[in-house]
Amino acid sequence: MGNKQTIFTDEQLDAYQDCTFFTRKEILRLHGRYHELAPHLVPMDYTNDPDCKVPLALIVNMPELKENPFRNRIVESFSEDGMGNLSFNEFVDMFSVLSETAPRELKAIYAFKIYDYNVDNYLCKEDLEKTLNKLTKEELTPEEVVLVCEKAIEEADLDGDNKLSYADFENMITRAPDFLSTFHIRI
Amino acid sequence: MSSLTPSRASMNVVSEPLVGSSRSLSATRRHKSIRKNSRRIYSAFQDHQQGSSDDEDKDDERVDSNDPEEMFQNIQYQKEIIANIRTRPWPMRRKLKVLKQAREIVLKYEGRLTRTRGYQTAGADLLKKISRGLYNIVVLFIPWEVRIKKIESHFGSGVASYFIFLRWLFGINIVLTIMTGAFIVLPELLAGAPFGTTRSKTIPKEHLASAQDLDTIWSLGGYLQYSVLFYGYYGRVRKIGSAGYRLPLAYFLVGMAVFAYSFIILLRKMAKNSRLSLASASDENFTFCWRVFCAWDYLIGNPEAAESKGAAIVNNIREAIVEEQEKKKDTSLAVLISLRILANILVLLSLAGSIYIIYFVVDRSQKLEQEKPELTLWEKNEVSVVVSLITMIAPSAFELVAQLEMYHPRTSLRFQLARVLVLYLGNLYSLIIALLDKVNSMSSAVQVVSGNWSDSSSFLATISQPDGDSLSTLVSELSISDHHNSTITTIATVLDITNSARSNLVAVSNQTAVFGKNTRSQQDQCWETYVGQEMLKLSIIDMIFTVASILLIDFIRGLVVRYLSDCCCWDLESKFPEYGEFKIAENVLHLIYNQGMIWMGAFFSPCLPAFNVLKLIGLMYLRSWAVLTCNVPHQQVFRASRSNNFYLAMLLFMLFLCMLPTIFSIVRYRPSQHCGPFSGQEKIYDIISETVANDFPLWFSKVTSYITSPVVVLPALLLLFMLIYYLQAIARSLKFTNNQLRMQLQTERTEDKKKVFQMAAARLQGPEAAADKKPDQQESDITSQEASIQTPSPRRNGSVTNFQSPVRCGNSLRTITQSASRADLNRGIVAGSVRNPSVTALPKHRLEHIPNRPPPFLGAPGGTSKSKSYHHMAFNPPAGYSDNINSEPLYRKTKCSINPMEAAGIIAAHSYGGRRGHTTRYVIVNEREPRKKLLRSATRIPRHYLMEESAEILELYPRNMKRYAARTAHHQPRPHQSHPSEQHLSEEEEEEEGQSRRRVSLGKAHRPRSLSDLRHQANFFIGDRAEGHLSGVKGAHPARGGYVAQKEDDLDDCEGDSGGLESPSCSQTSVKGADSVLVQTRCHIHSPGKPNQSTGRTRLMESYVRPKTRQKLDTPLTESDSGSLASSSDQQNSSTDQYIQVIHNKERYLKSDAKQSKIAKKKSKTSIDLNVDESNDLICSNV
Repeated sequence: MGNKQTIFTDEQLDAYQDCTFFTRKEILRLHGRYHELAPHLVPMDYTNDPDCKVPLALIVNMPELKENPFRNRIVESFSEDGMGNLSFNEFVDMFSVLSETAPRELKAIYAFKIYDYNVDNYLCKEDLEKTLNKLTKEELTPEEVVLVCEKAIEEADLDGDNKLSYADFENMITRAPDFLSTFHIRI
Repeated sequence: MSSLTPSRASMNVVSEPLVGSSRSLSATRRHKSIRKNSRRIYSAFQDHQQGSSDDEDKDDERVDSNDPEEMFQNIQYQKEIIANIRTRPWPMRRKLKVLKQAREIVLKYEGRLTRTRGYQTAGADLLKKISRGLYNIVVLFIPWEVRIKKIESHFGSGVASYFIFLRWLFGINIVLTIMTGAFIVLPELLAGAPFGTTRSKTIPKEHLASAQDLDTIWSLGGYLQYSVLFYGYYGRVRKIGSAGYRLPLAYFLVGMAVFAYSFIILLRKMAKNSRLSLASASDENFTFCWRVFCAWDYLIGNPEAAESKGAAIVNNIREAIVEEQEKKKDTSLAVLISLRILANILVLLSLAGSIYIIYFVVDRSQKLEQEKPELTLWEKNEVSVVVSLITMIAPSAFELVAQLEMYHPRTSLRFQLARVLVLYLGNLYSLIIALLDKVNSMSSAVQVVSGNWSDSSSFLATISQPDGDSLSTLVSELSISDHHNSTITTIATVLDITNSARSNLVAVSNQTAVFGKNTRSQQDQCWETYVGQEMLKLSIIDMIFTVASILLIDFIRGLVVRYLSDCCCWDLESKFPEYGEFKIAENVLHLIYNQGMIWMGAFFSPCLPAFNVLKLIGLMYLRSWAVLTCNVPHQQVFRASRSNNFYLAMLLFMLFLCMLPTIFSIVRYRPSQHCGPFSGQEKIYDIISETVANDFPLWFSKVTSYITSPVVVLPALLLLFMLIYYLQAIARSLKFTNNQLRMQLQTERTEDKKKVFQMAAARLQGPEAAADKKPDQQESDITSQEASIQTPSPRRNGSVTNFQSPVRCGNSLRTITQSASRADLNRGIVAGSVRNPSVTALPKHRLEHIPNRPPPFLGAPGGTSKSKSYHHMAFNPPAGYSDNINSEPLYRKTKCSINPMEAAGIIAAHSYGGRRGHTTRYVIVNEREPRKKLLRSATRIPRHYLMEESAEILELYPRNMKRYAARTAHHQPRPHQSHPSEQHLSEEEEEEEGQSRRRVSLGKAHRPRSLSDLRHQANFFIGDRAEGHLSGVKGAHPARGGYVAQKEDDLDDCEGDSGGLESPSCSQTSVKGADSVLVQTRCHIHSPGKPNQSTGRTRLMESYVRPKTRQKLDTPLTESDSGSLASSSDQQNSSTDQYIQVIHNKERYLKSDAKQSKIAKKKSKTSIDLNVDESNDLICSNV
């Protein structure tokens, strides 16, 4: 569809469509959004893969993420440097995983990463506590938090190590009725 | 990759002690292997991450091949990558890179393949491109994407699900509209007789004057009534236009196709949804987890919504906590029950009332129509207004009533939905029944009239003669009608006559009351049009009421609350009127109800779907506007995904119920004689048989007559029933297995938890905590690590493995083990060390499987469970708390089940544990590899861990350190054990018992003693041991009557060997003896699995029967091998021992005691107790 300005080459668009769950239009729109975030940083022309990254603070302020209690974690877990600076590739990747059509397994993997605050590949108590506090804006009393964390671990921990491995998490999350519909950001 | 590092780090920690203990070489090597294995074993999760690099490697490897087949495969592989790359959890950069690579390869090598393949792929590429382009275009036409997104971001997925559902309905209605429009309405408009040419297409003159009045139009009379909107307008001509379009046939077929299409699309959607939602059978309980991990709706992007969502989540969690704390609240039950009964009575009353009212109104309107020539606007629309009012008011009333009941919000929501659905259905049904009743009474009224009419009709006929209206036929019809006065046909013909007469008469003569009545009834007599009118009217009124309610209840209320809250004495926003809530469930139900009306009326009013499309568009905009401006999210969040299928199920239900009246009226009633495409037919569906008879070749009609004859229909029905039954049976069995699996999983989980608790309890037990506790903890940590590492893969496989019948496993095990042992024997001397692992594995399996055969011992659990328990034991701390042993983790089990099969493989895998093993191990590995590759990887892990555990133990028991270190160093020596163990399981158990006890004693008894003391004692013991050992063995033989002679012999041999070994050791602690001893002890100690096993076995031992049975079972298998095995094992041990000796002279003595004790144990079957005691003593002395 005739864009006056070539942002991507056709091959690039094709590759992006292969690698994500987006259509051409959506990729272009994503680029628009990405460009909006930092107009002076991000070039309009992406045909030669410019190397630029948008810092976490800007991405987190997108309306889609602004209210999300896990926004920082989301962005961090999709950034390769772990600090939350996203290149356009990672940006697209993030919304691809969070898109409606991404399969459950993929979503589960990234959900696990998001909730794994200390990046030790386990959801331990601290992770859970952090998650819970973010979720409830620290409205629960510490005792309640502890109780909920214990209960949650007890429910999902299949191997009795008092923390949730990915397998535990996956097992739990794939049975959740609304995981697919809620772990989803429409861009 | 980063995910790997933690695991590596943990392993480093574990293996460091080893490095420290002068075994840096083997340690590092082991370390490496562990790493390698861990990587391989690491869960799928990690696999994903690693996969990329693997893939890349493979890419490089594969490029070189020239074999076309290989190349083709490579290309296929690359294509797979391309197709699935989007589902891989890699960072985008890697994805792009891999994609590029894969594409290049495909491009480069595709040309080399045969030309056809090239064309094929080119075609596929083209197809893909086109489909992608099409998809890109189609996406452009998905309406309201942005709007829905906005709503989603404000209110979350719940509210959005309403709009998505609306959009979906909109799509369906568009298709329905296209169907009716293209096949019915358009042909009629284009090729049918134009307006005013036939009687059914002309407005009667008397109505012509008022045909354009607003109220006539409003009540769908006048011009509207005689338009394509309704059934009555369509001509009865069989073929219209130059092309000969068969309109009546098309009308009928499209009418049916509407239902068929709706059914298909609904069912497909439901199937898709249920596939998406997996089999989440709701009794899987992750209440807290879900509330934590799935609570947040990532779609929310509006601060208010986020706040309310946060509050809702907090409430939700608190609620769960409260529920957890006190599962049941105790309110006075009597009051509650009576209240609920009252509430239900109220609801039933209101339902009955609404049905009565509707019926009454329809009846009244009918009477009014008959009595009064002119109806007021209210009278004309009474029916639909009343129905709409009821549908609007009743749900709120139900909600009030529901508050009486004090159900849990979720239950009350369900009740509410069910009641509203019943109400809607009741409304529609009472309406349609009343209408059909009216149709009936109409015809009967005509009948009654016709009695009075007959004379006047003759009069009419004569009058009409001059007009020359095919008089002759009229007369003849008349005469016929006279003959059959009562039949409907006559009525029709009479009406026909009056009709034709009327056109002349009305103008000419004044009409009597009877006349007027008759003319009207004649018009109404097109009952299909009448029904269609009513449905359309209902739909319109419903729309008006919806709009009104949105404006009034939501908008005005919102305005009032917003702007008057300042000048009011209470807080309007938070107390009484508040803002309107968006009630998802009710609104969805309303949509369903609306769609039901459409289905019900579509046959009689082909434009109804088109109207509905307009209505839905309007509703979409209005609702979304209202939601965004003046609604707050519903507090009870209706679960989106679950509700999706719930909505659909209700819709399906509605569709079915709405189809019934239409089908009924099609089948039951006679089509009107003067209007509509089927006029003149006996039944509507006659059109089909007529077409078949007239327009198809003879053979076809014959075939159809055969097909529709009972000869075919009945068997077909039967077949269907059978099919349904069969499928249902399958579904039931699947459900059953599903349940079983779930139960299994649950019990495993609970056992797991139990185990954890017990471990904790055990930890607390030991008063001399420091020494004991530490190891436990650490071990528990280790086990947990193992668990975590293993879980991913094993659990997935778990179900599969579990399915295997225990017996089969047993067999396979046996065979494998035998072969393995033989192989070991052959290799024996050289690679003796190698065997240990296998040995350990083998006994376990044996044990496990044996129990299966004599069920009484184990009871229900079956073989697998046992095997699991054993393994589990193995992992317990060497200290061997018998308590701990009871519960076993999941992964253990799975592992076990895997292990048996791979037993042979395991041997190889574990061989490298010890030094000896290094060289030998490789050989073995290589041999076994082809067979066991897969299995091995799985089995290896535990072994590694075992080793590590032992290493840790070293650290933990500083006093014992040396001993342990030595032992750990010589993992291999186990083979010695193993052989006997294979043959005589009971022995092993005994030994292990001894070990375990020793362990315990270690913890407590190892008070400092001088090394010299230790040595002395050790030597001393060795001597003793040998003797006692021998005696014990001999004693044992008689004791076990059941034992086979051969076995005894074997045992004796063993003893002899051991004795021989030991005797030198006694005097001088010869290298051999000491080594062998070492080996044995080592086996016991460092195989964490074993000690645990032993404890497990001890448990088993408690039931006396078992050991015997086991022996019996085992003996036949192992007899042949046992003798040779034993001897060989000893030899091996000795050789290994020598080696060991050279290295660790100091430690040797310490260990020797233990070893000796073990040797003794092994050989003496019955002398368990003795051995145990001895071992304890030994330990004490050692320390």
